[in-house]
Amino acid sequence: MSNIRRRTLLAGGVLTAAAGTGLLSLLRAPAFAKEITVEEVLFDPANPVLGNPEGDVTIVEFFDYQCPYCKANHPVLTETVEADGNIRLVMKDWPIFGAPSVRASQLALGAATLGRYEAANSALMETDGKLDETRIHEALKDVGFDVAALDRAYRDERSRWDGLMGRNSDQATMLGLRGTPAFIIGTTIYPGAMDAAALRDAVELARA
Amino acid sequence: MAADSHGMTVTTSAPRRFGHLLPLALFVLALASGLNGPVTAQETLFASTKPLAPRDAFELSVELQPDGGRVLSWEIAEGYYLYRDHLAVETIEGDVVPLETAPGIAKHDPTFGSVEVYYHRAEATFSQAPGAVRVTYQGCQENGICYPPVTDTLPAVAPASADTEPAASSPATSPGSGPGKVTATDGLADNATSRVQLAKDEGLVSDLMDRGGSALVLLGFFGFGLLLAFTPCVLPMIPILGGLLAGQGATLTARRGFALSGTYVVAMSSALALLGVAAALSGRNLQIALQSPWAIGGVAILFAALAMSMFGVFELRLPNAWNTRLSRTGTGRRGTFGGAAILGFTSALIMGPCVTAPLAGALLYIAQTGDTALGAAALFSLGLGEGVPLLLLGIFGARALPRAGRWMQTVNRIFGFIFLGMAVWLASRVVPAAAGLALWAGAMALLGVFLGGFDQLEATASPIARLRKAAGVSALFVATLLGFGAATGGNDPLRPLAGFRAASSAVPPEKEIAFSTIRSLTELDAALAKTEQPTLIYFTAEWCVSCRVIERRVWPDPGVETALVGMQLLAADLTEFDADGQALLDRLGSVGPPTMIFLDAEGREAPGTRLIGEPDPSAVVASARAVQ
Repeated sequence: MSNIRRRTLLAGGVLTAAAGTGLLSLLRAPAFAKEITVEEVLFDPANPVLGNPEGDVTIVEFFDYQCPYCKANHPVLTETVEADGNIRLVMKDWPIFGAPSVRASQLALGAATLGRYEAANSALMETDGKLDETRIHEALKDVGFDVAALDRAYRDERSRWDGLMGRNSDQATMLGLRGTPAFIIGTTIYPGAMDAAALRDAVELARA
Repeated sequence: MAADSHGMTVTTSAPRRFGHLLPLALFVLALASGLNGPVTAQETLFASTKPLAPRDAFELSVELQPDGGRVLSWEIAEGYYLYRDHLAVETIEGDVVPLETAPGIAKHDPTFGSVEVYYHRAEATFSQAPGAVRVTYQGCQENGICYPPVTDTLPAVAPASADTEPAASSPATSPGSGPGKVTATDGLADNATSRVQLAKDEGLVSDLMDRGGSALVLLGFFGFGLLLAFTPCVLPMIPILGGLLAGQGATLTARRGFALSGTYVVAMSSALALLGVAAALSGRNLQIALQSPWAIGGVAILFAALAMSMFGVFELRLPNAWNTRLSRTGTGRRGTFGGAAILGFTSALIMGPCVTAPLAGALLYIAQTGDTALGAAALFSLGLGEGVPLLLLGIFGARALPRAGRWMQTVNRIFGFIFLGMAVWLASRVVPAAAGLALWAGAMALLGVFLGGFDQLEATASPIARLRKAAGVSALFVATLLGFGAATGGNDPLRPLAGFRAASSAVPPEKEIAFSTIRSLTELDAALAKTEQPTLIYFTAEWCVSCRVIERRVWPDPGVETALVGMQLLAADLTEFDADGQALLDRLGSVGPPTMIFLDAEGREAPGTRLIGEPDPSAVVASARAVQ
């Protein structure tokens, strides 16, 4: 007898909780309410473009400067893009490994303001292991950057770069991306690292 | 069911008591997020094959430690790993909670240097934390992807009102990681652990408290009491009170009947409240602690004395000198009110210690929050609810009972035998089975004699007298059988000669659900270690009246029998209650028998499956299905 009563009570509780949750989602909805389109994901005007900006296929990579598989995969990716010659490469900063990742992204995007994004991006992708402020600065200094200048450049266009990273993160969530790296080639999502053959196949598929 | 590809046991173990409502809750949630549009729309924008969802790759479970600390453990899917450095716990306010973790495996990655990671399984321990906490963890799929940090909110161990809602509604954000976002929509089930992992229960008291404050708690428990009033836990109190009232004879008026039953009910409720206080002070269920031979023997003697008093052997009253001094209203009255109080008190504590869902809820609430006042008040309220039929009996029974004459004598004798029966039933719990049988034999012999089994019938005796004599002779015959059974090693009053039959024939035993008995944690662990099957742990005891009902109504049910095939069945027998028994109760978060706990093959309790008190067979079937 008590079980039935208890069940009723709990039913009420769960319904209340569910209703509350639903309401909360509705209140939060505006943050996600804007539709995203393929255009926005592949051609975000704020995002630097590597490879051939006029290429007929776009490879988007959601990445983090501390994500081991992003970094391990990077040489394969750049070589493939270079060898093909007709690929737009859009590296989307999605810092998921905490503060050092965010810092690395900020400075690399600062380099974009200065027109030297590719050098900063490659330098940071070539780093070993976990990052911290010092290692990030060293990696950038090694390829001739003035860290203070990069920081200023980032801050000058802070709303642009923070907006971009915010959009990247929203897109990752909306696309249901599990983590980094995640590739979008053409209109297909490829989660996880890809070897050269897989990349070439995906590009071919996108062209077909 | 619980072990399907979607690892969150709560969301997938469907048809449990309230588990079956969770899909509904999630549906509402989905509906709400559907209004956001893009989430679902964009899924089809790009084709994709996905790695596991992070919570499937890393299944978090939580085990509460006796000292209030918690052990977090993650079952890590093959080919996935967690970073030691990225395990973190913080309070809702954002204060870091220190975490103890074992060294991980050093992972030498050419691009990631040396980091410590966990494969297969990770464990982290933290000591008592105030309020709810957020657990953050992060890992990768080997040679695949790395996940953003995942955050799950764990409810406060002591569920204060605001913190008890599961984390489902709050978006978990990744601290310090900038724009990384993970929503914890399925963060509901962070329960269950290693060996035995208990599901977390919101708790009946907290639940009521959240929705209507202490008034609703008291009202709710009064209502539960009413519902429980006709269960075997409370039913024996009706003849006890009836006997008490019948013993009043000519002095019994409706008003006095009400006052006596009121005293009885208040004493019974106070005993339940005391249970709560005792549980708070000692962490034990007093009802169970009182199942000692001394307490039971004492009460058995009390009932035997009451029976004799009902037979008119002696007047069970305080000495006259005391009475005249103590009582201005009349001889024996004080003594009777005292008696009512004692009976009420002992009935609740010793007669039929019944663990029911509300009782367990209140005791666990006290244990978790230390809020003795509310817990005890809830139990008092429960007692009052259970006492309503008794109060009605006091008022209306007083009119129905004869006040004097031959009928009164008969009624008194009937109640006398009821008391005697209770005395024997109590005593047979604490004496060897054969001695119990002998006691029953004695009681039956007495009944036979009182019914006139040995009286000579006149030739002109009325049919009623003859029926009486026949009943008396039958009782004497039963007494003989019982006595014979006792002398030849029988142990079941309903089958006194079973010893003979077992020796002389090879009748196959009835098909029964076979439980293995465990009496300690060691035995529990051993039993769990050697099985790959889901397990049912059934707390039972000889003295648990509800357990008898379960044994008659639930286990023989064909549906239940089928549902339990393929499960390991453990009966945790608390008949002889000791430290081992208490340890079992503590480990399994139970307050006493009857309680059924369903563990899946990994030893995790499926949320919402626990059954306390007397469940319907269908509830047992549903719970069993949930862990298979």
